[in-house]
Amino acid sequence: MAAALRPAILRRIRLSPSPPLPLAAAAAGHHPNALARWLARPMSSHDAHLTRDEVVDRVLDVLKSHPKVDPSKVTPEAHFEKDLGLDSLDTVEVVMAIEEEFKLEIPDQEADKIDSLPLAIEYVANHPMAG
Amino acid sequence: MASHSKLSGIQKQVLALYRGFLRTARQKAPEDRRRIESVVSAEFHDNARNVDRRNFVYIEYLLRRGSKQLEQLKNPDMTGLATLEVKK
Repeated sequence: MAAALRPAILRRIRLSPSPPLPLAAAAAGHHPNALARWLARPMSSHDAHLTRDEVVDRVLDVLKSHPKVDPSKVTPEAHFEKDLGLDSLDTVEVVMAIEEEFKLEIPDQEADKIDSLPLAIEYVANHPMAG
Repeated sequence: MASHSKLSGIQKQVLALYRGFLRTARQKAPEDRRRIESVVSAEFHDNARNVDRRNFVYIEYLLRRGSKQLEQLKNPDMTGLATLEVKK
């Protein structure tokens, strides 16, 4: 009996994707939790093969969406501290967000050296696992 | 905060601890993660503004306290950081 029912049940089951997180909706504005929301935003899914332009675009987007960054100042040449006014804690947040965007884990020693967009772009573009 | 290119040893320890908290927060449910990140970020930025950077004794105390809290937070059953909210 159970075995007979199985195909019928399986045919009816639909896996629905998990409900979207209420993050994107709340991302705008100067909410006190803006930083936490930004850090916790959903990861994007992309093909394994990355072009350099795509790396640049996505790194720029990560920077532009940090609550302390003025998006108009974000260029592929910008320095986190000198051009964007970020301190070393903000820089940790930015580098971790880049990790998450490209599904990488950047070791502390490497992460400590990334203090500008050119270095971040270089690191991701040269990383074989960046996705 | 000093330029990123010349981080001192103690600064690197602070940043490593901050990174540790943010990495651990990623393992938690989205709601918990957001709350933890908000508390941790506020605490680190507050201390960066308010603690005299020559006060190594106090900074090392904060580092030890933070490491202990991070170890507790790594426990999968821990979903928050109530102790962090107690002000110094």
